[in-house]
Amino acid sequence: MNIFFQQVLNGLTLGSVYSLVALGLTLVYGILHIPNFAHGAFYMVGAYISFYLAGSFGLNFWLAMLCSAAAVAVLAMLSERLIFHPLRNAPALHDMIAAIGLLLFLEAVVQAIWGADFHRLPAPYTQILRFADLTAPAQRILIIVAAFILMIGLQIFLRRTTTGSTIVAMAQNREGAALVGIDPVKVSLLTFAISGALAAVAATLFAPINLIFPAMGHLVILKAFVIIILGGMGSIPGAIVGGMIIGFAEAFGAFYISPAYKDIIAFALLVIILSLRPQGLFPSEVR
Amino acid sequence: MLQLEDVKLNYGSFRALDGINLSVREGELVVMLGANGAGKSSMFLAISGLRKLSGGKVRLAGTDITRASPNTIVSRGLVQCPEGRKLFASMSVERNLMLGGYVHRADKAGLKTRLEEIYEMFPILREKRDDHAGSLSGGQQQMVAIGRALMGRPKLLLLDEPSLGLAPLVVRQVLDTIKSINAGGTTVLLAEQNAYAALQIADRGYVMESGRVVLEGSREELLNNETVRRAYIGG
Repeated sequence: MNIFFQQVLNGLTLGSVYSLVALGLTLVYGILHIPNFAHGAFYMVGAYISFYLAGSFGLNFWLAMLCSAAAVAVLAMLSERLIFHPLRNAPALHDMIAAIGLLLFLEAVVQAIWGADFHRLPAPYTQILRFADLTAPAQRILIIVAAFILMIGLQIFLRRTTTGSTIVAMAQNREGAALVGIDPVKVSLLTFAISGALAAVAATLFAPINLIFPAMGHLVILKAFVIIILGGMGSIPGAIVGGMIIGFAEAFGAFYISPAYKDIIAFALLVIILSLRPQGLFPSEVR
Repeated sequence: MLQLEDVKLNYGSFRALDGINLSVREGELVVMLGANGAGKSSMFLAISGLRKLSGGKVRLAGTDITRASPNTIVSRGLVQCPEGRKLFASMSVERNLMLGGYVHRADKAGLKTRLEEIYEMFPILREKRDDHAGSLSGGQQQMVAIGRALMGRPKLLLLDEPSLGLAPLVVRQVLDTIKSINAGGTTVLLAEQNAYAALQIADRGYVMESGRVVLEGSREELLNNETVRRAYIGG
């Protein structure tokens, strides 16, 4: 029972991190139809900023996470203004090339500052929580709870507030949104800011049980793409459910099949689900 | 209230608008007739700032809005109910309407009052307020689209083919509503293929062909014009 519970916990932990990353990716895709490969670099930069603030300035974990989210939000807005906005009338391929360029650039910058070594962010809570005969490390519970609070918060923001609705409106009908007076520039900036902040929070939450290194975003972003393809490009529930599916598949696959195949499982699942449901799980939730 | 001076619009090498001149005076209901592809929708999108003009000028209440962004144009009181409605399909009817009042979002009380007025105009929308806009019938979606545009408190309302795809009885209803919106003080520019029905409610009209205005006149002049009768009314 305890072993099974551990896998559920691992699945939820991984799923939470993946969902947060995929949410940012799907939001940007829904608005601008850009596959933002640089999102993996936002994730990586988020982890480094938290690591730097906590390590060099002794900042508290939560404060470091907050500052990192703000910094990456600004970085994401800058990349929208300086890179993606000027390309809005160019063929889609240009956006993709620019996004890969940005990914490589940010990795090079981080490597120049902090080197190529592995780092680790000290865990803020090292306790082991016990419920009856089940045990759970506090950091994992923290990841899950924080991720769920953020996902619910994001849903409320998008569905219930006027500012949030502008994002959904623009994703559903760009011209319709312009005709009611929604400013597409503001919406794009806001979407990139949220997307960047989510990536930084996900990276910071995950960093204490994971390693920090310049290429840490690669596998995460590849999986986030698997998730949003599975969930339906631009779909918010799709990103959450897709993230959980991949998280659980990895956790259970690693334990019951082999840890060596952990990363292959996500992609195998993509092939299987897309051959059964080529439109994804939630094809038209947002658009 | 609205003047177009020698307005030109190109899509690549295709000239969609070829020197349009027209004006709409305050309080008028002006109809724009023309077959599919005559350039009515292109003209409307250009007026709203969604297409960049290749030449000419657009003035709203004396101000040049040729290069203004769509959101600036909406906040100046020119609101469009576009062809194909362009609703936010998976949002509720009420959320669609409230987003229509986006430029007035600071005035919460005003938006509530306006929403009530829309529900009085279209009682069915009150019943369906929580339904997804995309799940409504064509006529009801058109009501949402008109309601959404009215939430922007237009001084000038552009309506692009509001009767497209609707049953004849619903067309009548929609046009009556447009007439009463105009009677309430909103200036209206209406694009229609349904010439006879549209001319019934209009003060004046223009006829467009291949991106040009080929005819203009009062309701009576157009109703009695041989070319209009033959081409658009069928009799």
